[in-house]
Amino acid sequence: MSLPAVGFLIPLGLINAYWFAPPLILVISLVYAASRHEAWPLIFRHATRLFLMITGILALVTIILLVINTQV
Amino acid sequence: MEQPTTAPNVPLKNRSLAALLALTWPGLGHVYQGRTAKGALYFLCIFGLYTVGFALGEGANVYWTWVNPLRNPEHFRLYYLGQFWVGLPAWPALIQATLIQQGFQPLFNGFMAAPMLDLAMDNGVREVMQDVVRRVFSLHQKYGGLKEIGDIYTTIAGLLNILAIYDAFEGPAVHQESTSASEVPSTPGGESS
Repeated sequence: MSLPAVGFLIPLGLINAYWFAPPLILVISLVYAASRHEAWPLIFRHATRLFLMITGILALVTIILLVINTQV
Repeated sequence: MEQPTTAPNVPLKNRSLAALLALTWPGLGHVYQGRTAKGALYFLCIFGLYTVGFALGEGANVYWTWVNPLRNPEHFRLYYLGQFWVGLPAWPALIQATLIQQGFQPLFNGFMAAPMLDLAMDNGVREVMQDVVRRVFSLHQKYGGLKEIGDIYTTIAGLLNILAIYDAFEGPAVHQESTSASEVPSTPGGESS
């Protein structure tokens, strides 16, 4: 038994894999923040900070790799 | 019976039962503790991530094999060590692997069965498993690298549920918390004036 293909809306193979990173980072940030705090304002504040930090680090590493790549 | 708490407003009830429920289904332990909103957050995040990952692999990326990782590393399913912690949504893979290991035909046309063929398999079992193998290999042609993203999503969902299980058992990691920065003591352990 297989699940109905999810590619009927858009051809999934055409989506750049990078688009799957933000939802993953968001979920990781929310769950981690929720495991640290009980108050919702703190959870959201911590999750936002973590999301921005992870995304920023990933973007920075990507930029560095791109710069190195163009100079090789 | 005294109910252990980590913060005044976090009743953990029976912590072991809560952790067991959280292991069984993401968020269920928190619902049992009365932390419904947090349970809903865990459910949406963890089960949602697992479901998207599962769909990206058309259900063929969550499976287990009873093989010795030292003798047969090629067929050892490392991802399942993470996926397992999602709970019930991932556990049918254990049943299928056990059935195949014992020489029985897998249930539901090989749903969540490992794509493995063995010469020692019975004809009926082998027929079902050939379909499973064909289906898994066709995924690469259809979606390219997205199957791997499904592997990653489902595995991370399971690993995140470990945090949720720990939260159900022990409560939030930060015990003394205030919602505004001005309420936080200026020195560690100090009193705000």
